[in-house]
Amino acid sequence: MAASIAPECNDIKEKYDTCFLKWYSEKYLRGHTASNECEELFSKYKTCLHKALKEKGIDSMLDDARKANSESDTEFLRRS
Amino acid sequence: MKVFSSTCTFDYSWEEVSTANWRKYSPWNDKSTHVVAVDTLSRTIDPETGILRTERLITCDQSVPQWVLSLFGGSATSHVYEISYVDLKLKRVTMCSTNLTWSNVLNVQETVIYQPSPSKPTSTTNFNQEAKITALCGGWQKIKNKVEEASVERFSQNATRGREGFEAVLEMSRRVFGEQRERENGRLQP
Repeated sequence: MAASIAPECNDIKEKYDTCFLKWYSEKYLRGHTASNECEELFSKYKTCLHKALKEKGIDSMLDDARKANSESDTEFLRRS
Repeated sequence: MKVFSSTCTFDYSWEEVSTANWRKYSPWNDKSTHVVAVDTLSRTIDPETGILRTERLITCDQSVPQWVLSLFGGSATSHVYEISYVDLKLKRVTMCSTNLTWSNVLNVQETVIYQPSPSKPTSTTNFNQEAKITALCGGWQKIKNKVEEASVERFSQNATRGREGFEAVLEMSRRVFGEQRERENGRLQP
């Protein structure tokens, strides 16, 4: 798995990524789309990551990109 | 604006490709070394459609032509924002990416789609990539063209390397999953 932009988040990121990949291949792809058992790990990883993104000033760049790219949701999240 | 597009087919099922795609930039991929970090920003499942939506931040570190650095300044580290959608019903992965760095100079909008190939849908997967590259810097058209051309060239090089690297990830992924299955089967037997 790839590293995190913040080295201090690498451990928790690795745990989350492993959990997610297992869930994706064993549950999600088999149609069990309801739950995501990795939520707790993800929440810890996000806390670590967000702190780093703020320090590096990347969070404001992301906010701008989110605003500029909101139309892809309209196209790809619609009901099939 | 310039458009770069490429297509190819992987000899792996859509399920394998869409799983391996999450670890495309792992150490198994020794070709895309310009990608130094991949972070997941958010992940949600649409309760009605089951579509998995993921936002990621991709950090690249790569040599930029010196004249670009001299013209626009900045460092060689760049960030890409990616939104992806896995649609299980359609068996389609769509990834939309845009550059965060140098966004006042250059706008790159990339869309990648993985879908089962119509001819052999259970064992092969089509990859479609399209990137729209627009130089935004005011002033000379000549410079804009040059920036766009250099970007398309870099894009094309990365696309080739990306494909080769992903093949390696797919192969390793299949091997590891196979071994895991064997272990699990072995454990089940008395």
